[in-house]
Amino acid sequence: MDPSGIFSTSYRSDRRVVRTRWQALALVVFMALMLAAPYLVSGRIIAILNMMLISAVIAVGLQICTGYAGQINLGQAAFMGVGAYTASILASKTGLTFLLTIPLAGISAALFGFLFGLTAARIKGFYLALTTIAAQFIFHFAVLNLPSSWMGGSNGITVPPAELLGLRFVGETSQFYLNLAVAAIMIAGAFGIVRSRFGRAFVAVRDDDVAAGIMGINVAATKANAFLIGAFYAGVGGALWAYLIRFVGVDQFTLFHSIFFVAMIIVGGMGSIVGALVGVFVIRIIQEIIATVGPNIAESVSFLGGDIVFAGMNVVLGGVIAMFMILEPKGLMHRWNILKSSYRIWPFPY
Amino acid sequence: MVYFINDIITGALIGLLYALVAMGFVVIYRASKVFNFAQGELVIIGGFIVWFTTMQAGLSLWLSIPLSLVLAGLVGYAIERTFLTKLIGESVFSMVMVTVGLLILLRGLVLLVFGPAVRPFPIIFPLKPLFVGDMLIPMNLLIGGIITIVAAVGLSWFFNRTRSGLRMTAVAEDHVVASSMGISVKGSIAFAWVLGAILSTIGAMIFLSGKSLTFLASDIGFAALPVALFAGLESIGGLILAGVIIGVAQSLTTNYLDPLIGGSLGSVVPYIIMLAILLIRPTGLFGWRTIERV
Repeated sequence: MDPSGIFSTSYRSDRRVVRTRWQALALVVFMALMLAAPYLVSGRIIAILNMMLISAVIAVGLQICTGYAGQINLGQAAFMGVGAYTASILASKTGLTFLLTIPLAGISAALFGFLFGLTAARIKGFYLALTTIAAQFIFHFAVLNLPSSWMGGSNGITVPPAELLGLRFVGETSQFYLNLAVAAIMIAGAFGIVRSRFGRAFVAVRDDDVAAGIMGINVAATKANAFLIGAFYAGVGGALWAYLIRFVGVDQFTLFHSIFFVAMIIVGGMGSIVGALVGVFVIRIIQEIIATVGPNIAESVSFLGGDIVFAGMNVVLGGVIAMFMILEPKGLMHRWNILKSSYRIWPFPY
Repeated sequence: MVYFINDIITGALIGLLYALVAMGFVVIYRASKVFNFAQGELVIIGGFIVWFTTMQAGLSLWLSIPLSLVLAGLVGYAIERTFLTKLIGESVFSMVMVTVGLLILLRGLVLLVFGPAVRPFPIIFPLKPLFVGDMLIPMNLLIGGIITIVAAVGLSWFFNRTRSGLRMTAVAEDHVVASSMGISVKGSIAFAWVLGAILSTIGAMIFLSGKSLTFLASDIGFAALPVALFAGLESIGGLILAGVIIGVAQSLTTNYLDPLIGGSLGSVVPYIIMLAILLIRPTGLFGWRTIERV
């Protein structure tokens, strides 16, 4: 959002991602800091950053699906699970390199997501959102009930570490670089998608799908594409998750995890890739605090036991979602943009 | 053969229980255009209110049931006033997102307040099943089924025939238009949530009567979701048919197909039916076909 008086004079400058020299500088500094992070901060923080990077990939996918294309998606964790299972089965059974398993995980998740997006040809509005809940349940059912030699059933699957040219990605630091590289590629891709023809079609469908259809956009295909792309991101994130945790189980991909991802994009701001990243940062910090503080409280309030972390997480994140929808429905990114544009035109009011 | 008929009857009665919980979805949708994802949590809150008034406060059933319904209505009203009233005029998308937030917020609160312990639930309906020949019909489901049918007929009449019901229907069509016609959108949404919470509490009584109560019982909300969609989100009467179909299909799958394949296909059958019906008839069996304008 540019302040009034600042206009793009060409199509290229309108499409530009990095708009000012300061933004370019900030991007370079940020990337340099990320690359140097393992030498600057402790292992505990690297572990948190790993989780943030993986969540970032998944939340950016959800942002494209929900924030840009306006399709409520409560199945993102299931799509992530499909990716994680694909990667771990391929890695543990066929021994494929992660260079192949990660994209394949994305593709299989995308196909699964596309299946539910396809219903967009017939279904509109909230009914479509509800099919994503069905995705969540069908995923659970499939994992738990297919023969356990296929997907491990309730025991889960152990994943061998990622390996490239004799270099094993074990330990937080080397995995950090793997996650950072994949996340950077995926996020750069997301910026490309939302600026392209597809991204503009997403925004048009979100703002009014009937009007978009009249303007010649294939609405059903656009919605299906939104699910396809969102699920692809979730699948890639799931594969990274599998390599990080080295174990996948069906309990890691529940409806609650899907809602946590929704919380991330709501806090950051709908319809902004950077917003998704901000949301991931904020929500992951909150989750980390609860996970650290929770057990201490559990000692004093003993009747809850280990459930206090889960309960606290739900209360805080549910409260955060409701609070943001009521007080700041456009998210933190919107607040930041207001601040930025009023700074750029200071001392004039507009 | 007797077992087969018995399975069908039990399935139909369970389907009617789903229909009662689904009625909570539909009533809230019919009066406010908001799809309430937190319906299962309303059921469990109702369950805990009943547990509290009977087991904890030690009131007799005749006193505690009306009291529980009143308290549940108040909870529904409080939720509506705290979260949804503030969003009137915002997009429906925001309201639905708030109910998604409510889903995990209420789940967490129930867990924090009552803990994960398993509690005995009062026996509200006689435990002794009804014997018809060789068949055995659970009493709580039978009475529940009758309550469901009565409630469905009554609410259907209310929403389709009475003046105040039609007013709420107008709210479900369009908040802005309704309020410019002089209809109180606030009042309509508040009424919907009070009614939704009361229906959920009745559902909890039927579902849990004589069983044990934990926070996991809220999963019935997701079991009822396919019924609501199958019937079409606007139709209260249609819930009975949809509930019976889904209940019978689930019961037959659980009893005859699952032993063959050795899985629990019964638990996802409602979702498969839901997906199929949405593809064939996107508005469900009896939902409204709306004409859209730009």
